[in-house]
Amino acid sequence: MTTPSDSSVQYNITDEQGFLVIHFAGEIDLHGSPHAREVILDCINQQRNTVIDLSDITYIDSSGIASLVEGYQLAKNKQLEFGLINISKPALSVLKLAHLDKVFPIHNSLSDRLQSS
Amino acid sequence: MDKTEIKDLLNLPIDGQLESHLALLAKMSQEFASSLDIDETLNNAIKQMMDYMDAEAASIFLLENNDSELVCRACAGPTKLIGLRLGAEQGIVGRSVQDNRVQMIRNVDEDPNFTAQVDEQTGFTTRSILCAPLVVKDIKIGAIELINKRSSDGLFAINDKHTLIALASSAALSIHSAAQAAALVEQQRIQRELELAREIQANLLPEPLGNDFPVHGLNLPMLEVSGDFYDFLVLDDDRILFNLADVSGKGINAALLMAKTSSLFHCLGKTINAPGQLLAMINNEICENTTRGMFVTLIGGIFDPHSRSITLANAGHHPPLMQHQNGRFEEIACGEMPPLGIIPNLEFPEYPLNLDQDSLYLYTDGVTEAYLDGEMLGEHGLQTLIAQHQGKPISERLKDIINSLQQDEQSLHDDVTMMIIEATTSPLLTESFPAESSKLKDIRNVMQTTLKQAGCSIEQTEGIVLAVSEAAANIIQHAYADCPDGRIDLVIHMNNNELTVVLRDYAAPIDISSVTPRALQEIRPGGLGTHFMQQLMDNLVYTVPTDGIGNRLEMRIKIQ
Repeated sequence: MTTPSDSSVQYNITDEQGFLVIHFAGEIDLHGSPHAREVILDCINQQRNTVIDLSDITYIDSSGIASLVEGYQLAKNKQLEFGLINISKPALSVLKLAHLDKVFPIHNSLSDRLQSS
Repeated sequence: MDKTEIKDLLNLPIDGQLESHLALLAKMSQEFASSLDIDETLNNAIKQMMDYMDAEAASIFLLENNDSELVCRACAGPTKLIGLRLGAEQGIVGRSVQDNRVQMIRNVDEDPNFTAQVDEQTGFTTRSILCAPLVVKDIKIGAIELINKRSSDGLFAINDKHTLIALASSAALSIHSAAQAAALVEQQRIQRELELAREIQANLLPEPLGNDFPVHGLNLPMLEVSGDFYDFLVLDDDRILFNLADVSGKGINAALLMAKTSSLFHCLGKTINAPGQLLAMINNEICENTTRGMFVTLIGGIFDPHSRSITLANAGHHPPLMQHQNGRFEEIACGEMPPLGIIPNLEFPEYPLNLDQDSLYLYTDGVTEAYLDGEMLGEHGLQTLIAQHQGKPISERLKDIINSLQQDEQSLHDDVTMMIIEATTSPLLTESFPAESSKLKDIRNVMQTTLKQAGCSIEQTEGIVLAVSEAAANIIQHAYADCPDGRIDLVIHMNNNELTVVLRDYAAPIDISSVTPRALQEIRPGGLGTHFMQQLMDNLVYTVPTDGIGNRLEMRIKIQ
């Protein structure tokens, strides 16, 4: 896990079956979201299909959601795949609140994601 | 004094007449002493005197209307003169009173003061008159007049004169005593009625409630009745309607207008919960039928104990004083509208106010015009006095402040009335945080702990924590625009299962209209925070804090 300086969010990136999987842990709020955004956009800018693993996210706010939206839009522009997997309960309720649970491709795991495509 | 001396004094030549004379005096004195109906007693007495003195007619005239008139209060004989009014110097009776001398007129036709008018009206013929003044010490009361001696030559004799002097002295003393007794009875009646009025008026003031009730008032009348009043009543939705007022003038007039205004406020206030509208209606009612020149200065409002907000409306009363939590005083400007009862069809603007942890003092000018140590208290003195009693429970503080005003008998010159309004429940949390994104986690942690203690469900806690964290993030990002050294004050209250979260910053005022959520159909980053807050909380209100600095956001939610 990589921890940006003094951030409450941690992440690591794995390369699995043609996808970069960004695994975030902790809290993505106004303080952590710039780092999260940077990581997400960086992966997509590498012209890689990207999924975000939110299984260990204990808190996400509107700025965190905004980073996911930005990633989704950038991937779409680049005609790359983007999706969310393993969404924790707290993260899912916030996505629902933003009415984004039907916008993002959401799967329980990367293999589910691969099977569905 | 023996019998011979009395005989000599009264110049009574005929033996046996003294006994009957004394018997009449005794009877008259007894009747005067035993009856409070002075007219009945006088009529009995004049009949007895007429018979005793063997006159054809007799009457008693008393001075009335500041001694400007002589009015016949009792008479005996063929003509009824009761109610006849003469000038104080008119006729032989007038001369007798003014000169304080007995008048014995053997032939009235030769007397220039004789008024033939009465004879002309009644058909009675007056030939001779014996008239004695009624005097007690130097106080002129009136006169007794006897007309036409029946026996002998039809003329009154010198011994008649002396007898009448004796009878007049006794009658004067009795009339004077009876008048004084009647005045005393009247005075006692007025006193009893004033006491009753005071009791009725005291009943118009609300019963004081315990220290956990946020509105307390106290009235100290200078006279038996007061022109000041205050009132408060709890509405169905827990809000408290209150007023404090001062009627122009003093005494019964002011007390009656006080009763009317207070009743109107209490009655109409149950259905009209907007203070401005309420004042407008009361103003029109009072303008319609109130004695000219009388008016009422009244400040009224509604206090919401959940949001700790007040809406004020003011009709000519001087502005209330707010003591902030840090001890600083502020006079709350609330308009220049005239008092009630002067100009009809006025609109009274409303003034919103956030009370938070502050205290609002409403008072009549009797308070600031009190003299302590020879100097008028004034508004600055009042602030010092309030500060001296700071920290005491609300009802004790109010009593102590009013007691301090009663330094000595010269201290108060007017009715004194004061009201304190303050939120009486302590907040669940009061904390201040640096406005930095790295501190958002601290805010969330504190919220988690507080909400857990308040008995919130885990699910609701998550929602409230998100809403508050979003609000704080907005302050950091937009209000302070990431400037260093900003602060965010966080206060949480709980009243009747309703949670109120107040976030306050000290940044430049934000444009409230810019704080709107974006349409969710737009899939783009940003603008979601306000949407979250609105979705998660029951109510959001942005205001400018009472000290005019920064921004205040109040969020409310019912706890399940």
